[in-house]
Parts: sequence; structure tokens; C-alpha cells
Amino acid sequence: MSSESPRSERQPDNDNQALSDIPQGAVRHPVLHADKLSKKVTSGERSLTILHDLSLSVAAGESVAILGKSGAGKSTLLGLLAGLDTPSDGELTLFGHALSRLDEDGRAALRAGRVGFVFQNFQLLPTLSALENVMLPLELSPRAGETQTAAQWLERVGLGERVNHLPKQLSGGEQQRVAVARAFVTDPELVFADEPTGNLDPDTGAQIIDLLFTLNREAGTTLILVTHDHALARRCDRCLRLDHGKLEAFVPTAAPIDEGTQ
Amino acid sequence: MSDVNWRLAMRSLRRDLRAADVRALFIALVLAVAASTMIAFFLDRLERGLERQAGQMLGGDLVLEQRDPFSEELRERLENAGFVLSDQVDLVSMISRDGRFQPASIKAVDEVYPHYGASSVDFGNGTEQIASGPAPGEAWADPRLIELVEIELGDRVQVGQTELEITGIIEREADQSGGFSNFNPRLMINTADVEATGLVQEGSRIEFEILAAGPPEALEQVQGLLAELRRDGVEVRDVRVDRPQLGNALQRAESYLGLAGLAAVLLAGVAVAMSTRRYVERHLDTAALLRCFGASQRQLVTIFSLQLMGLALVAAVIGALLGLIGQAVLIWLLVSFLPMTLPPPGLMPLGLGVFTALAVLVGFAGPTLLRIKRVSALKVLRRELDPLPPSAWLVVGVASLVFGGLLWLYSGSLPLAIALLIGGAALLGVLWMISALLLSGLLRVVQRFSGSSEWSQALRLGGRQLARRRQAGLGQLLAFSVTFFAMAMIVLVRGDLLSTWQDQLPDNTPNYFAINIQPSERDPFDAAVSPRVETQSTLYPMVRGRVISINGQPPGDAVPPDARGDNSLRRELNLTWQSEVPEGNAVVAGEWFSPAQLGGDANSEEGNEEGSEGQGWMSAVEATRQAAPVPISVEDGLAERLGLGIGDEMTFSVGSDEITTQITSLRSLNWDSFQPNFFVIFPPGVLEQFGHSYITAFHLPETEQGLIRELITDFPGVSLLNVDAILGQVRDVLGQVTRAVELVLALVLLAGVSVLYAALTASLPVRAHESGLLRVFGAGSKMISRVQGAEYALLGFASGLMGAVLAELTTAALYIFLLDLTPRLHVGLWVFLPIGGAVLIGVIGHALSRGLRRQAPAASLGLLGEA
Repeated sequence: MSSESPRSERQPDNDNQALSDIPQGAVRHPVLHADKLSKKVTSGERSLTILHDLSLSVAAGESVAILGKSGAGKSTLLGLLAGLDTPSDGELTLFGHALSRLDEDGRAALRAGRVGFVFQNFQLLPTLSALENVMLPLELSPRAGETQTAAQWLERVGLGERVNHLPKQLSGGEQQRVAVARAFVTDPELVFADEPTGNLDPDTGAQIIDLLFTLNREAGTTLILVTHDHALARRCDRCLRLDHGKLEAFVPTAAPIDEGTQ
Repeated sequence: MSDVNWRLAMRSLRRDLRAADVRALFIALVLAVAASTMIAFFLDRLERGLERQAGQMLGGDLVLEQRDPFSEELRERLENAGFVLSDQVDLVSMISRDGRFQPASIKAVDEVYPHYGASSVDFGNGTEQIASGPAPGEAWADPRLIELVEIELGDRVQVGQTELEITGIIEREADQSGGFSNFNPRLMINTADVEATGLVQEGSRIEFEILAAGPPEALEQVQGLLAELRRDGVEVRDVRVDRPQLGNALQRAESYLGLAGLAAVLLAGVAVAMSTRRYVERHLDTAALLRCFGASQRQLVTIFSLQLMGLALVAAVIGALLGLIGQAVLIWLLVSFLPMTLPPPGLMPLGLGVFTALAVLVGFAGPTLLRIKRVSALKVLRRELDPLPPSAWLVVGVASLVFGGLLWLYSGSLPLAIALLIGGAALLGVLWMISALLLSGLLRVVQRFSGSSEWSQALRLGGRQLARRRQAGLGQLLAFSVTFFAMAMIVLVRGDLLSTWQDQLPDNTPNYFAINIQPSERDPFDAAVSPRVETQSTLYPMVRGRVISINGQPPGDAVPPDARGDNSLRRELNLTWQSEVPEGNAVVAGEWFSPAQLGGDANSEEGNEEGSEGQGWMSAVEATRQAAPVPISVEDGLAERLGLGIGDEMTFSVGSDEITTQITSLRSLNWDSFQPNFFVIFPPGVLEQFGHSYITAFHLPETEQGLIRELITDFPGVSLLNVDAILGQVRDVLGQVTRAVELVLALVLLAGVSVLYAALTASLPVRAHESGLLRVFGAGSKMISRVQGAEYALLGFASGLMGAVLAELTTAALYIFLLDLTPRLHVGLWVFLPIGGAVLIGVIGHALSRGLRRQAPAASLGLLGEA
């Protein structure tokens, strides 16, 4: 657990029994541990600090929401936490491995099969069928070829009838269901969700969120959710707000806050 | 894991086939393979067919000739290597009947004869094709012999000490072995009768021959043995080395086809490079996602390489099939000139086709594809994070390297490939700079278009769009220039090739040779022929002489070991004397006879031979034993074979005399000219004292065929050779090779269009964005259409101009160095290419982007997100 972040504010309605009595995930082996991360970018002659001395620890099975205004650096943080990007300073440990000691390929290998992703714009491969899209991460993991597993996951997200459809033949909600199935198909230890409802209408969005949390609960997966939606954030074990390059504990209000909209 | 990569690659490839860039890539590869395999298949079959034909003319794939019978040991070695042997004995002897004597060139053949083909023989009821020689006790005679000895079928003639029955008249022999050494008429007998003739004696003029037929491997296997035999003075004729001259025309056609094939490959390569760029851009998102899911860089490269390789393999197979069909069409076009059935297509060209496809892919797509490896997984979150495109130098460098390798492979010449490559690279650099200048110049001109007419507005806007994407525009300009250049080249070279061929064999090319005209017959013969023929060559005097020493050494010791069995050393050469360089000959080294060398009597060969004694070089001959040698001019090919140059001395035995000579000039001559040609020419005044006859060639018009009968009657000693058949064959070759060349031309043009398609496809997204913007700002469809048309037309115009510059320079170089033609300025090129380029690119580009103009601006601007 980070020294800067206060104790996590657990949602009373969250029924993750396994973790409810050990609020300090750091005591157990953390899935993810960020220590004084900084990210600076230079644009032209100006140097811009997006993240500054940011620390965070996420325990196994925990669900964490990261809230923030547009442009606060949410995506940058997500990229760093998932090992897609490298920090300017600080150290990130994922599954017990210090990422700074790994090269691009080493970090990718670490993700393979252990990290799932759900994106705002779905990121399905347009040339692959729903089933093939779900199989994609499986094939990059040691469990290549488990077509049956992929089909079962599609079944679980309610698309058992549409396995052979191409993304463009599916609605936005259906596409995101495929993406959710894809995120969970490898039984990952950690799932990142980046504004999973951002491109969906409220009803469809709500369905996707229900699906996401149900699957997460059933699988006992660690979830890191980046969103601007307070209602969504409240369903997580812990909420953090990204502001001026730092994370702080936060209790979301019932209604979406003004700055949250895109 | 590799299995996984393969599955991933194939799965998306199947659906990717619908994408424009993949289609362009595919078409380009198919064309590259089709062009290269078609030409390789064709040349391979032609080559092997010509080899077989040459084998037929030689009488076998390998012919050995010497004065003594061959040993059993040699026979065994040849048979063990896989040859079938046929024995032959050639000798010149008198034959007689009822007191009429006539020297005949006797050729004795065995039961195996002939290895290839058949003879045309008249047995009394018309000409028949027969693939054997006469039976023992029988003989076949040349029609001339029949006439000279006044015999009929069924008569018996005396040959040496035996009598043989004439059973057939030979119209044409299956092979040309045995030669026409003395221009004596042929008598063909069976080897079984040779002994009975009693003609094989110590000192008699006999040649023993082994005609061997066998596969190329057998020939390969005995090369060492052949070298040994050559050193021992055996004349060795190897079908691959000594086949009759292909003829410059066909060689040029081969060069042309090779060139055209490479042009098609280069064009396809450019198309591949351009479509790969778009392909990679389209797949960066996929790559980023795969990265996100844990794929390694190597895995990404593997997946996308596999995809392209799979594509290339399918393209290669389809291309090779098209190539196979194409070569069948070529062969069909050429069928009447190819008397033999060509061997079936081999596997080699197929392998070459697949190899070409992969090489083009690696060379022209490789560096661009590697960009995909550098994609960041972060791109899934931030779309704008694209890896930088590879540097133009890297792309061009690798492509040049691979293309150079292909050049090497196809041309078989490393220096040529390197020279072309360095030249090409330098040219490309210069081209880049000129293009940049040209483009900015053109754009400046366009911006000056004031006028508010729709078209000047379109040109201004189009020009500005082009200027905005200067680098991309330059790349396209370069690609189009190269395309137009290659297309123009192929058209230009074709035109010049054809007109050169037509010039080479004008209608009045000699179709008859007259040999053995005695000095006393010279003037009457000339008087009989001249008024009735269209063209007639000089009457060349001909003296037979043998080379007996070179630079004071026996010829065998003085020449390179391989040349010891050379025909020119084993036989008598036809020597002539001339005061002027004969027509069609060119002195390539040294100097032609000076007036001093000509003895101040350049006309001596025109005058009365008897009267010229004591003049000119005669006095030198008198003093030969101690004085300066006689200057001579030697054909450069012979000099090269014998390792001779200016200043070398050759001693000839002519009659009972020896003449020592010194080479003072080397001549090149055109063996295809249908004119009498000579290896060695003396100055006048030396050879006149020896027995000589004259040779000439003339063109006999269709209407004067009666002349031949008269000549045979009036000049019975003169041999007349009709070369109409050969001449017709050469004309056929030219005519039909022309058609083959046109087919290949069409293919190259197609490859050119594929480049345009690929390039324009690749640039569509950017243009879509621009037209979307214009639309948002209120431009109508018509307006956008005009602006786009103008932009494409400007690009086409500039490319056409550049293409013309390149083509003019390159054709000049090619003509001088490769095709041996004289360069000239092509005015049409400068007019047609820029205008044609503007129209072609304008129309294709305009048509391709029609779909875009119909799109709602939101779609083309990408506002609808990932679809």
C-alpha cells in the first residue's frame, strides 16, 4: 500500500469476502506495486509532468477505480501500470517483477495470459470473428488452441449464437461483450478496464458493467478500472482520484461530477 | 508457438484479401512472378530446343573427329558415361561409271545413324523421310552427282575397289556432319563397305568420327576427357559450345526478353513497396493490441511476415501458372519457326518464380514491415503513437540490394549487376533532387494561375494539396517516374529492335551462293548473272591454305590447349585477297593494308592474274624466306580462339609453297549477312600465283528462276547453293520473335498499371481526409473531384517528364553497351509521356477516389471511430 494513499475506502456493499478483512493488500503479495512513478513528456521545448511521485499498491482480488478529469493523465497512468509504457522515474512491480529490469519483450511476456484489457473503443480486430477475437489472447499464452474455452466465454457473455460474426456485424454493446470475454478468457490475475462504457449508451453501458463485475467476482480477478463515471467507480473496492499528477483516496458521490464528462 | 503464429497469420489473411492494399500487393506479386517465370520458362525451353536442334545439325551432342580410328578404350569411356555412339568415316575419293570420273565426298554411316532427325531421300517414288543410312552394298547420291556422272537409280558405281548400287537420291541429310569440305557432291554409303573400297590407307585423306548422343549429365561427366582429347589434337564439337550461331537477332531478342522481365519485376517491386506501406499502417492497431496481450516483437514480425509469405506463396503459384500459360502462348506464336517440338517446361523456372516472389517481397517490403515490430503497446490507449516509418534510404537500399541480386541471378553477370546497381542508385539520388526541383517549380507555376475559372481554381488547390504532402508526393513522383520510364523503355527498345531487324535483312539479301567459279569462268559467269539479279556481292577469289606454324612453332603448341583441335588448324582455310575492307566487315584492331603494303597496285585482283606476276607482293613472296612477312587481316573471333593478336606470325602452306604472314589487322564481321565471309584476307599480289576459284552471292528474283538451269548447264563445275530456306527461316524468327516481344510488352505495361493502382490505393486514406475537410468547408462533389483530378494530373505530368529524361538517357546507354545499336533522340517520348502521364494518372486516380467522394465527411475524417 502506498504511503501517500490513505487506507482504502471499502464499499460496504462489496461482498468480496476473501479480501474484506485484509484491507492492507501490501501485507500479502501485491499484484501491482507502483513506487514514486513519474512521467514527463517533452512537447516542443516545454517539458510537461503528467504524473509526479505517484505510488500505488493493489492486492490480489481487489477492484480499484481510478477517477480523473479529461486530460488528468488517466490513460498515461493505465499505460504505465499495465507495463505498456515506461515511467520517467520510479519503479513498478507487476506480479513481483520489477518492470524496469525487463525489456519491451520481457514486459509483453509478463502480460501474456495474466493481464486482460477492456478498452473504451473495444479494439476488436476487424478481420477476425467474435470467436477468433476471444481466442487471440489465449493463443499468445501457453493455452493456445483452446477453442472450447473461448466459445464458453462467449456463451457466458450472452453471444453463444454469434461466435462467427465479424465485429462490424455486431452492435457496440455486443462488441464490448466480446471484448469482456476476451479480457477474461485466459483466467487473468489482473484486468484493466479503460472507460469500458465510454462509447456506449447508458443502458448498454450498465449491462456491460454488470457483466464485468459479475465475471470479476466469479473469477476472483484483480480489477483496475479507469473511468470518469462516479456510479461505476463506487462499485469498486477502492476509489482513487488522479489530480495534478497524484492519486488520492476519494469517495465518489452518487451523481456524476461535472468534470467527469468527456 | 510457431503453429500459433501461423494460425493467427492465416486467419486474418483470409479476410484481409478484401483490403485494397493486400489486393494490390497480391496483383503485383502475381505479375512479377508471371513475368519472370514466363520469360524463364520460355528461354529455358528455347535454349534446350535450340540445343537439340544444334545436336541434330552436328549429328550428335558430341562429335569427335581425327585422322585415325578411335580406340576401344575411348569408346568404352564414352559409353560408360551414358552416350550412344555412332561411327562415321568421311573421305574424298573418285567414283566412276563407264569411264566418267568425279570426285565425291563420301560419308560412311553405321546402323545407329542418324541420332536425331531424318534424311529426305528419293527412292524413285518421291521424297521420303528416313531415319537411317543406306544398307551395306548400297549408296545414296547427291542430285549433282547423279547429273555429273550421268547415273540413274539402280545403277552401280565404282567406289575404290568395290561397286555399290545407287538406291536413293539424297535431297537433304539428317545432319551436317562430315561437312562440305571440298564442295564435292555427297555419296553416302554404309560403314560395312568401307573396308572393301580399299580407300583406307596410310596417308589417305580420311576423317574418322564418333557421333555421340547422350544427356547433358553425360556431357558434363566427360568434360575432363574432352579437354584431354583436344590437347591430343582431336577435333571436339560439343553441342553446347559449338552450336551454330544463334544469330544476333535471336540473341538480341533474348536480351530484350530478359530486360523486359526485369522491368516487370522492378515495377512489381515498386508496387509491393507502396502497398506494404499501407498494409503496415493498417495493421499497426492490430500489432499494438497483440503487443498488449503479450506478443513479443519477434512474434509480431513472424505473424505479419507469415501473412505476407503466405500471400506471396499463393501469388507465386498463381503467377507461375500464368507464366506457364504465357510461355505456351509465346511458343504457340513462335511455333512455325521452331521446327522441332520443344522439350516440356522444366521445374527450374518454377523454382525461380517462387524465389523471385519471395525475394521481391523481402527486398521491397522487408524494411517497411519491420516498422510493425516497433509499434508500442501504448498505441491501444493513444492512437497517435505510430512508430516512425523506416528511412527512405533503408527502404531503397534494401530494395536495390535485392534487385541487384535478381539482376545477377538473371543476367549471370556480377559486374553487370553491380554496375547497374551503382548506376541505378546514383540515378535515384539525382532523380530525387531533380524531382524535388521539378515539383516545386511546377507548383510555383500552378500557383500563378490567376483566373477564377473552375479549372484554374482546381489546379491551384490540387497543387497546394500536393505541396502540403511534399515527401509523400515526391515518393509517388519517383515511383511513377520509374514506372513510366520502364514502360517507355520497353516500348522504345522494341521499336528500335524491330526496325534494326528489318534493316538487317533487306528484301534483296542474297539467296544464292555460287562456289567454285574457275578464273576462266569468272567473267562469263559475271556477265551471265549480273544483268538478271538484284544484288550481287563481289566475286571473291578463294585459295585453300593450311596453317602450318604460328610464331615459328607448330600450331598445336602455339595456341591455348583447348584450341588444338580447332577446325581452322585441322582443315584448309579459304583465303582471299582484297585491297578494300569487304562490305559488312569492320577493322577492330590494327590498320587495314596501307597503299605501300598493297604494293601500289590496288587493282591487281581486278586485272589479269597472269599479268600481275612480279608486281606488288609477288616480289616479296620471292623473297619470303628472308624478307618481311606478308601482312594479313584476321577475323577477330578466330584470333580470340587461337589466342592471336596484332603482330603474331602465321605461316600457311598453299600448294607446295609456304607463306609467312603477320597479322596487321583484326576484323569483325556479321555472320548473319548472307555474304561470303573470310577468316583471313591477304593483300593482292600474293596468292594469285596459286590455283584459285571464285565465290559470290546474289539475290535471284522470283521471276528469274530459269537462270539456275542455265547456269548449271553453262557452268557445270560451279556449285550453286540455295539459301532461300535458311533466309526464310531467319525472317520467320524475326517476325515471330517480334510477336513474342509484343506479348511481353503487354505484360510490362500491365505491371506498370499495377504500380499506379498500388500507389494510389496507398494514398487514399490521406486524400480521403483532405476531401472530407474540403467537404466540411462546403466544397461540392464536383469541386472536390476537380481538385483531386488536378492533383493527380499534375503528379502524372511531372512523372511523365521525369520518365522521359530517364528513358532517353538509359536507352542511349543500353543501345551502346548491350544491344549494339546506334542511339538516337526520341522526340515523341518528350511529348507523349508527360501528357499521357497526366491523363493516365488523372483518370485512374480520379476513378479510384470516386468512392471517397461519396462518403460523408464524418466517415472520411474518421469521426466515426474504429469501424
